[in-house]
Order: sequence, then C-alpha cells, then structure tokens
Amino acid sequence: MPESALRALPEPRSPDPRTVADPNAPHLLAQLQDLTLNLRNALDRFRLDSRLTRLAEKDVPDARERLNHVLKLTDQAAHRTLDLVEKSCPPADRIAREAAALNEPWSRFRAGTISVSDYCDLVSRMDKFFVSARSDAEGVRANLNEVLLAQDFQDLTGQIIRGVVTLVSEVEVVLVDLARLAGAEGGSTAPTPEELARGTGPSVPGVDQGTAVVAGQADIDDLLSDLGI
Amino acid sequence: MSKDMKFLVVDDYSTMRRIIKNLLHDLGYANVTEADDGKTALPLLKNGSFDFLITDWNMPGMPGLDLLKAVRSDEKLKKLPVLMLTAEAKREQIVEAAQAGVSGYVIKPFTAVTLKEKIDKILGAQAA
Repeated sequence: MPESALRALPEPRSPDPRTVADPNAPHLLAQLQDLTLNLRNALDRFRLDSRLTRLAEKDVPDARERLNHVLKLTDQAAHRTLDLVEKSCPPADRIAREAAALNEPWSRFRAGTISVSDYCDLVSRMDKFFVSARSDAEGVRANLNEVLLAQDFQDLTGQIIRGVVTLVSEVEVVLVDLARLAGAEGGSTAPTPEELARGTGPSVPGVDQGTAVVAGQADIDDLLSDLGI
Repeated sequence: MSKDMKFLVVDDYSTMRRIIKNLLHDLGYANVTEADDGKTALPLLKNGSFDFLITDWNMPGMPGLDLLKAVRSDEKLKKLPVLMLTAEAKREQIVEAAQAGVSGYVIKPFTAVTLKEKIDKILGAQAA
C-alpha cells in the first residue's frame, strides 16, 4: 500500500454513543484501531528495510572501499613526504658542515692573520663551496616543492571523508529508527576494560572529553609523577 | 649513555616508524630496528640484545600493553626501558600502563623535544 493511501486512512476515534447503536461497535472500532497501528508499523518497517538493504548492499561497502582508498592516499603522501625530507637532509647537512668548516680560516682572513698558503686554500674551498652550496640548495628547494605537491591528497581525501560522514549520518537515522521500532533502550557507551586494553584510538575533541581523558603531555607527566614514574 | 644503544620501535604504521627512526637518528641513535606489532616484536626482543623499546599501544595482533606485560614477565627482559608512544589518552589506560611497569608515556601527536626529554629521563633514572 502506498504511503499516501495510509495517510488517507482516518484516525481511529472513539465511537459516538448517539450514532452507534450496535453494541459490538466499540469492539470493532478497537480492532480497526489495532489494525491501522499494525499496518503503520509494518509500513515503517518496510520503509526501513529497503533503506537498510540499500545501505548494507551498496552504500556501506562503497564507503569501506572509499575509506581504504583514503588510507592508501594518506599512506602514499606520508611516505612521499618522508622520502623527500630524508633526501633533503644530506645536502642541508653538507651546506652547514662546509660553512662551519670555512668559518675559522675566513675569520683569520678577516683579521689579517692568515698565511698565504692558507689563503690560497681558503679561496679554492670557497670556489668549490659556492658551486656545491648552490646545487645543494637548489636540490633542497626542489624537494620542498615536491613536499608541497604531496599535500594534494588532502583535497581528495577530504571530499571522500565528507561523503562518508554524510553516509554515517544516514546510517545513524536508520539505526535510531530501528532501535525505536525494536523498543531498545540506550545502554552504556563507555568502553569496556577489554576495549581499553586493546586501545581505543586517538581522542577526538568534542567526542572524548572530560576528566576521563588527559589534556596533553603535561597532564600525563603529572599523572605519572603522582604514580611515582 | 652510549649512542650505540639498540632501539626497537614497534608501531603498525610504517610512516610513524620512519618518523621515530628519523628522530632517533637526529638524537644520535643510529641502531634502530622496527616491528609492526607486539607479536613480531617479542621474538626480536627475546633473541636480540635491545637496550630500549618504544612501542605504540593500539596495534593489531598484540597491542602494546600486552607487549609491555610480556616484557615485564620475562626474566631476561624485565628491566628493559619501555616508552609507550601512543594516541591512547584515557587516564584509566595511563594508570594501567603505569601499573604494568611502563617507564615513560608520550602522547601522539608529539614533538622531537618531548621524545628526547622522555628518553633522557628514562636513561637518567636507569643510570642512577
């Protein structure tokens, strides 16, 4: 029966004693009231069933694949960034090391106390340093540009995650409806000791708060200090 | 404390292992081995001569808390310094880790300075 037909059904009413002559009428009306209520519940369930089926067969598996893709993209981006950082450390170290090594003979040159042979050596090293520092700095700069580009994952993963958040909201509505139909009552949402022992993941502002969660490293340090660590 | 110390870094995320390994290298600790959960870490600990364990908590297979308990109940490993480096932030969990014998606890996200401070503190207490 379409929903519009259900809406068209009259609300069950108490019989009017002036118009109802049949002594069985109140009983029949009560039965009709039950029937209407059952029909409504059945239709609610049917509507819920079809939403659940779509969620279970298509939307949730889709969301799982999308989140797996997010995991892959973030993992790739993090490794790419780490590769570039690790690649940039040796040239940056070389520049710092050679600049530090040149500092001492350069100070002697500025003070006018450098020998001729040391001066010749300094000039030769400076010549090499200018070339190598430029090449190293250009290498680091190119790596930094690559690091910049590696952050493009955020746009893609952000869009995917936003889509999944919308889906989760829809699942929430369906589950609340289901719980209402089943007459379920809210239970405790606190993690069990077993869940805590396995780990419950990072705390999220607005979700995990209050005194059960530490505010930061300083809070942990205080807590451990109280425990003698 | 010697910079030749052998570190074992246990985390299920390879990126986090790389970050910790890089930070340890910066601190001068070049001898770093990696494992992706407690199950793979425990045989490495039993067969190797590690001087320091840094472990995550929430890992598939064997979580960090179970690894800590296994280390503390092993005659050969029971005095090994164990630094928990994790996102687990519930007071109840930190107390449980302390009761299980953790040497230090660093919450993610963390800084290089915090990591250095905690390693130094643990090694300082061990040397005292």
